[in-house]
Amino acid sequence: MLRHLFKLIWNRKRANLLLISEIFFSFVVLFGVGTLLINFGRNYRLPFGFDSGPVWRLAIRAGQGQKMPRAELDDVLRQVQALPGVQAVALTSDNTPFSFNNNNTRYYNHGLQSPITNNYDADDAYARVMGLRLREGRWFQPIDDASKARPIVISQDFREIMFGKGPAVGRAITGGNPAVDPKTDQYRVVGVVDAVRMDHDFAAPEPALWKRLEPFDTTHWETANVMVRVAAGQGGALQEKIARTVAGVTRQWSTEVRTLEDERLSKRRYTLVPVIALSLVSLFLIVNVALGLFGVLWYNISQRRAEIGLRRAMGASAGAISAQFLGEMMVVTTLGVLLGVLLAAQFPLLGAFGMPTGLYAAAIGAATVAVYVITALCAWQPSRLAARIHPAVALRED
Amino acid sequence: MENLLANSSEPRTQPVALHGAVLRLTDIEKVYQTKTIETVALNRVNLTINRGEFVSIMGPSGCGKSTLLSLMGLLDEPTSGVIEVDGRAVTSFSDRELAGLRNLKIGFVFQSYHLINDLSVVDNVEVPLLYRPGMGSKERRKRAVDALDKVGLSARTGHFPSQLSGGQRQRVAIARALAGGPEIILADEPTGNLDSVMGEEIMGLLLDLNRQEGVTVVMVTHDEHQALKTERVIRFFDGSQVG
Ligand SMILES: Nc1ncnc2c1ncn2[C@@H]1O[C@H](COP(=O)(O)OP(=O)(O)O)[C@@H](O)[C@H]1O
Ligand SMILES: [Mg+2]
Repeated sequence: MLRHLFKLIWNRKRANLLLISEIFFSFVVLFGVGTLLINFGRNYRLPFGFDSGPVWRLAIRAGQGQKMPRAELDDVLRQVQALPGVQAVALTSDNTPFSFNNNNTRYYNHGLQSPITNNYDADDAYARVMGLRLREGRWFQPIDDASKARPIVISQDFREIMFGKGPAVGRAITGGNPAVDPKTDQYRVVGVVDAVRMDHDFAAPEPALWKRLEPFDTTHWETANVMVRVAAGQGGALQEKIARTVAGVTRQWSTEVRTLEDERLSKRRYTLVPVIALSLVSLFLIVNVALGLFGVLWYNISQRRAEIGLRRAMGASAGAISAQFLGEMMVVTTLGVLLGVLLAAQFPLLGAFGMPTGLYAAAIGAATVAVYVITALCAWQPSRLAARIHPAVALRED
Repeated sequence: MENLLANSSEPRTQPVALHGAVLRLTDIEKVYQTKTIETVALNRVNLTINRGEFVSIMGPSGCGKSTLLSLMGLLDEPTSGVIEVDGRAVTSFSDRELAGLRNLKIGFVFQSYHLINDLSVVDNVEVPLLYRPGMGSKERRKRAVDALDKVGLSARTGHFPSQLSGGQRQRVAIARALAGGPEIILADEPTGNLDSVMGEEIMGLLLDLNRQEGVTVVMVTHDEHQALKTERVIRFFDGSQVG
């Protein structure tokens, strides 16, 4: 019977080509959206690699074109640190977790080039404030003042890519390719921490490294980003107190205090809006395709009434008729899905977007199941209708 | 106890007679009920078709001939009356059982051939065999080719219906009716769409099948000449048998 269905479909290839291409198109859309959603879902369940709950971000701005002297900044940090409810403060760069800033580049371990890596500035208190999980070596300490190369701490994923199973702590990396630029910046690894996901709730971990901010650094800042670790249960009162403390040092500086939780939630909203829009558009497309399939099947069946009557006369039961129409749809679906899989398989094969093969496989699986469910649902009612066609009526020839 | 059982199930347990009735219609009435009118298509028809007979059915248009063939072919149910196939009343048969009986015992030939245009000649002839449980594709192909041989079309197996003349198409339809090895062929105006030469050809083929292969044939026709060549002519007028 399957061979018979294939013959029927092959001999009607022009009409079926339209169905097959619609199914192929639906598959591709579902695969694309599926890849995105599955990727987001998988990432969402991974740990951030740091604490966001008890941490606030304090941004201090010197004002347009102004710089802040380090001594005054240190004074602010000391006073904020001394506030009751504040456990620790750390100075960092403006690419704080869940912010819209990022700062990334590639590094070299001799000839080996790293992938794009996020780099953060961090002082000696940062690891404690952020709750980074140390795996090897140590975080920055005052003894690093004596280091010639700038000390860095790297994330576990960066470590695996750049040092494999060999030792990482004590090793040097450079900012440029040393073969091309012998005077390039030198960094020395002092520790390794767990991989972090600082972009948004659904982001994958990305290779990261932290460069030590020296206490006697004389850089003059326009904006200082301070991470503040607070005791449990602190809220708006402490936020105001922090702002007043900064104002107490100098009236020129403006401040903004936000909890990392707030930042996380607003970044999440921002990230989800286009995803939800895309999902809705795809859903709309799929519903349209499904209605189209449904219509084509109805039309097919009305065109094939005589054939249905004939098959009934030749010994097909009502069940056999509906099985035939469902079966034809499943064969057509299989052809469309096969084409879709052929296309989708190129993504892992070509390593496009650097997503893991398992993710693509899961998306292919999900899109396949969804397409079969959709076409089976579309074919269900028309097939039942075909089965109910009365053979004696369908075969009348006047 | 034994007697009682034998009596109660008498019609169903009668042995299949080799020369007895293939089809028996008793007190058949068929009423088509539509919203506006009620059409009595058949009125108290009693009819027996014996094994090996060639029966023709005649009557004016609309007198119920096609309706009668549908009932004989188990494609429709009578409003009242009993249809027996090989001595078994089919009144309480399920859709599946009726389909199985049609597949095994009955071959249909229609005025407008009803070939499936998207299937080749041989694939068309195989259609009834698709619904025969447990028949493999080799066996199907062999039977289809044999049937096409009998109607003289073994050279056209790979053609499509659109590439054939009307007479050839009707021969394919007859091969299809034959392929399942039926006991009876029901033909509703099989020459109605053909010119007289092709009509003669088809009539000759049906006569040969009846005489040489022993196939029982019931044929609706408007052609007195054709009817005269058959063993028995049943005439209908307005839903009733008139001769
Ligand atoms: N499905 C149907 N619904 C309503 N009336 C029908 C139907 N089929 C046949 N009839 C009516 O039954 C009568 C007999 O029809 P039919 O058996 O086709 O006659 P014939 O084949 O002798 O021309 C006609 O009056 C026809 O209009
Ligand atoms: Mg008729």
